Amino acid sequence: MVSRPAIDAVFEAMFILTDIRVMLRETAPGHVFSTAQREEASALLNGLENKVEILRRELLQ
Amino acid sequence: MKCAGPIEVRDLDESSINIDPIQVGGRLTPEAMKAVIAYGDGYSICDHCRKPFRLDFIKTPPVDVFFRELAQFLNMDVARVVPGARRGFQAVADTYVQKEDPVLITALSHYTEVLSVEARGGLVREIPKTEGNLINPDATAEKIEAVMRETGKTPPLLFIDQVDYQYGNLHPVKEITRVAHQYDIPVIVNGAYTVGIMEVDGKEIGADFVVGSGHKSMASPAPSGVLAATEERAAEVFRTTTVKTDVTSRTFGIKEVEMMGCTLMGVTLVGMMASFPRVRDRVKRWDQELSNGNLVVEALRRITGTEIRSEYPRNHTLTRVDTTRSFDEVAKTHKKRGYFLSSALKARGIAGTIPGATKVWKFNTYGMTQAQAEYVAHSFVEIAAECGLPVSE
Repeated sequence: MVSRPAIDAVFEAMFILTDIRVMLRETAPGHVFSTAQREEASALLNGLENKVEILRRELLQ
Repeated sequence: MKCAGPIEVRDLDESSINIDPIQVGGRLTPEAMKAVIAYGDGYSICDHCRKPFRLDFIKTPPVDVFFRELAQFLNMDVARVVPGARRGFQAVADTYVQKEDPVLITALSHYTEVLSVEARGGLVREIPKTEGNLINPDATAEKIEAVMRETGKTPPLLFIDQVDYQYGNLHPVKEITRVAHQYDIPVIVNGAYTVGIMEVDGKEIGADFVVGSGHKSMASPAPSGVLAATEERAAEVFRTTTVKTDVTSRTFGIKEVEMMGCTLMGVTLVGMMASFPRVRDRVKRWDQELSNGNLVVEALRRITGTEIRSEYPRNHTLTRVDTTRSFDEVAKTHKKRGYFLSSALKARGIAGTIPGATKVWKFNTYGMTQAQAEYVAHSFVEIAAECGLPVSE
């Protein structure tokens, strides 16, 4: 019936993208990331891929 | 890229450093952006609204707690959210101002204060500003006396902007409220440029009412704001309905008349709530904001002919600058005329100035990182040098 994992993954993915959006704001206009910011962005993107994988599993399989 | 139909994506703050004087304090925190995603639907705050069916009683999400914390944050007794500071002015004016009543504003008051009095049929009377564009207690006392002589009435209300929108000057509100109270005149403090970015202690400055703007200085969606009051005044401005209809004999519980029942019912309120912890924390870092602002102010002062029209040294990040004898001289012969400055800034990824403005204009550095402030400061100097304007060391 309700796919709780899919619902959660949708919101969590959007929240991760929001965190990336904030990084773009903080580094505008050049968007040159420091080492720490690159690590943060990398962790966020890994998390995002995980959420997309959950969505694939819950909704397409 | 479009959001929908003809609506462009707004990515101004992702692609540029925004120095728009009215926008920067209202940019959302990450928490508010996330809350907006989850609570975008119309009456989203109402899912768990139960008897007595009023906003400040909702426990999920904890609106009830937020209202109490908002009052504590301002050191006032009662707080309500309103759809923008102007609706706070309106609620207070509606409560106290009768037709032909003289109401004191200042020469630097926001227009919505004037409209709130006009709507009641009140007489608007301005306290003049000094040559330095400040409102002082002596001028306040003189104006009160003059108005009482003119009308034979004690003004029922005095509006004072803690920081004004024209110069970003910080006015001596505590001394002004002290004068007003000697005449038993309640004071409404317009904190649109202070509440949410600087520490504001309503009791300490003697405010009967403090009004703040969510979308201007509290990192919240528009239209949002806060109206806070002392206990005595809260009983008046937040009075509840007593009406009974004649045909159906309906009554309306404990709805607050001036609030028109509930005020913010979805994304605006939840956005305010989500930003609040960070807002409560950021006011303590005002010195860093001033420091960033001063980087830009000092860079502009190095450009020969440029004058800071706001009080100096600066007490706020909103600054009025006069470049009539610097950038406007360039505009007279530049092929882009007055648009050269905004164009040069845009090319450097700096947005928020009025295109074509090269005489007197405003900017606001609030919310920048230090690196961004240094970049903006450097950019102004670089543009001036490229235009052949003398720049001091």
